[in-house]
Amino acid sequence: MTRNHEGTRQHDAAFSRRQFLKGISVGGGALVLFGQFGIHSAAWALSGEPTLKMVVVDYNKCTGCRTCETACSSRNRPAAVAGKDLPGLGNPHFANIKVHNFNPDVDVPNICAMCADTPCAKACPVPPDAKTGRRAFYRDDVSHTMHNDISRCIGCGSCAKACASLRTGVIRPNPETGKPEHMCTLCGGDPQCVKCCPFGALSLVEVRRDRKFYGLGPEKIAAELASNWYGTATLGGVK
Amino acid sequence: MSGKPGYHGRILEIDLSSGKSRTVAVPPEDLDKFVGGQGLGMKLLWDRLKKPGVDALSPENPLMFIPGPFSGLPVPSSSRTCVVTKSPITAPLKSDHHHASTVTYSNMGGFFGPEIRFAGYDGLVVIGKARDFSYIVIDNDKVTIRDARKFKGMRTDAFDKAFLEELGDRNYKTVYIGPAGENLVPYSSIIHTAGRAAGRGGSGCVMGSKNLKAIAVKGSGQPGVANHERFLTALEKARRALYGTSYAKSWAEQGTARAIVGNSNAGTESVRNYREGTFTEADKIGGDAARRDVWVRDFACYCCPLACKKSGVTKGKYGGVVHDGPEYETGVMLGSNLMISDMPGLLRAIYNIDDLGLDQISTGNVIGFLMEAYEKGMIDRKFLDGIDLKWGSVDATLAMIEKIAAKDGVGALAAQGVATLSRHIGQGSEKFAIHVKGLELAAHNIQGNQPRALSYVTASRGACHMSGDDIAMQNRRAMLDSTGMCFFPTFEPALEQPMLELLSAITGHEYDKAEFEKAGERIFNLEKMFNYREGFRRSDDKLPNRFFEDAFTIGAKKGAVLDRKKFEEMLTKYYQDRGWDPITTKPGEVKLKELGLEFV
Repeated sequence: MTRNHEGTRQHDAAFSRRQFLKGISVGGGALVLFGQFGIHSAAWALSGEPTLKMVVVDYNKCTGCRTCETACSSRNRPAAVAGKDLPGLGNPHFANIKVHNFNPDVDVPNICAMCADTPCAKACPVPPDAKTGRRAFYRDDVSHTMHNDISRCIGCGSCAKACASLRTGVIRPNPETGKPEHMCTLCGGDPQCVKCCPFGALSLVEVRRDRKFYGLGPEKIAAELASNWYGTATLGGVK
Repeated sequence: MSGKPGYHGRILEIDLSSGKSRTVAVPPEDLDKFVGGQGLGMKLLWDRLKKPGVDALSPENPLMFIPGPFSGLPVPSSSRTCVVTKSPITAPLKSDHHHASTVTYSNMGGFFGPEIRFAGYDGLVVIGKARDFSYIVIDNDKVTIRDARKFKGMRTDAFDKAFLEELGDRNYKTVYIGPAGENLVPYSSIIHTAGRAAGRGGSGCVMGSKNLKAIAVKGSGQPGVANHERFLTALEKARRALYGTSYAKSWAEQGTARAIVGNSNAGTESVRNYREGTFTEADKIGGDAARRDVWVRDFACYCCPLACKKSGVTKGKYGGVVHDGPEYETGVMLGSNLMISDMPGLLRAIYNIDDLGLDQISTGNVIGFLMEAYEKGMIDRKFLDGIDLKWGSVDATLAMIEKIAAKDGVGALAAQGVATLSRHIGQGSEKFAIHVKGLELAAHNIQGNQPRALSYVTASRGACHMSGDDIAMQNRRAMLDSTGMCFFPTFEPALEQPMLELLSAITGHEYDKAEFEKAGERIFNLEKMFNYREGFRRSDDKLPNRFFEDAFTIGAKKGAVLDRKKFEEMLTKYYQDRGWDPITTKPGEVKLKELGLEFV
């Protein structure tokens, strides 16, 4: 019984993985993404391995509408209305997911890649706390999301710099305090961007915790998509 | 937050003559009565142009970009900005005022309208004329006017990229004109994201007259709402009304291009310069063909669950990136109307028109007129600077598009539109010069569709296919285009109640269907008063004779032709039902008072 159950689970996992890869492979574009970035193949969890959950993007389904930004902002930037904490009005300025759009028409939602080796946290110069072992910028042991301890953060921007130069560049320092913002919170396990995407382009996916998957900056992903979709890697506004 | 909920209560006015900008408060009662977009733009225009006959290309004419109360909030499909100004194209048959013309408005999707609201404004008003070719940068409260001389003559696709490089920040949302606008072609467009346009009515020409290449906006704020909880509840309902529905999916599948074959089959398409309603080769340029051969992705405007826009790539002689389309209007005006059935050739024409910053509809209409005049021997190849402008010729069409944008040779005349062209050519060509008040008709043909004919002749900006086929529809759309929401999702009946709930929750003004249409009626009547003051009368609500004389010879509506008597009866009834004088078309005192328009 147990073995059957195990077997079924494995089968299901393999099946959905294949489905997922097929989903991002439409048009051949994502085949390259897959081959080059190993975006989920290496990351897909099989039973028994330590896992974490993260939001992943299907670039073929994204239409660039930015509803995800508003949903993220609404949840993560609540509004105090008559003494009640309510979801905010969804000002995309405060979103942790950000859709970068390009010419020719490519849209790349950028969100924390929850990198296994956390170069952002490693770059934090604040000495680890004796009790918790955490620097000011750290990974939460339970949700595996990235956090910043505002009281200890010195606003040096090292985490954001590491993220920008090595990974997605999703972490941005607050323009006034210099303290990092826009790390994905997973909305306490129910990501609103996934829920509100009208096109099913975002999914909450269980991946191997130690996967060798490194998030790439939106410009690189856009260039890859543009070259596959339009036969050009020359994108407007990209430095 | 003080003032009217759902608004910032101020617009940004940029005076290019003085190089100065300032914020101007908008009276709460104006926001309440005229809402935003097309309506608020009309009110601002009325307030600013106190006399008829102001030259549309004079510094005095304001060029306005007005989002609506939905803009900047995550309301589904609320991406629209309305560009409002005085028209550089339209003209009455006779008027006491030399530069008499209608109001014009052009509604554009994308991301520009929401960004204006993020920057802290309910609209942008550009007045004056820059001494040197310039562009405007708005970063929240910071406004700068910069030198654009190095961009002179740059086409829009290249400029879209170069401008962001120059600004160094992809968060800016930008609008700009192409060479056509710089050259003051009356039917020039304003382009956004290289493939979206405020196309109709010549707003790009007005922008060019101000020596203004582009505007960039970014911002971090957002207006508040009257009832936060009610807004959130209604937002959820609005999403549920559209998400995952077969209605939304059908838009994502083919966008407006579905109608290229559909309307051809129905006999309501503009074909061969409006001679026919059916294009026998429509399937070669329709949605199915495009899905199969061209489109690689569907994309959407701000917070839109429909994703009606399509991009792709074509190969061969005409090959290249396709930013947009074919859509219904672009595909028909440059395809069916010119008898072009070569998909890559069609898409090259569409691309070049956007790239040069021309209106797709007027350009296709003008070329169709010239093709017919050429076929009939009214003009020869010499007249056309050697272009062999035969039906279906992609190369000749492409050559003519370049000539128009550059106002080169025959292009200088063609750039003035079919009304001017037919006056120049004479020989009875007025019969097939397909315009109303000087603005060319769009891709919906009317020999077999009298209600659409009403839309064309009574629309406030000249021949407009979107105005509405009856009074209720016209009022509703005038209002809809004032809110910032797109017209496309609103055919879904389940969206109606949530949309009204959202508008009420945002503005604190309680809207039901009747109240919504009442606001639209007020807006439509103010537009009418503006046009009436300029000298437009019933004799201007006029169609070319083709529609009464040339019955379709093929298709589902074979034999269809408009009946002049029935058409005039329909118009008389329309004016009466509107409370307008059926002879002069002037809105009556009773109607104006009822609508709170005593000030006109």
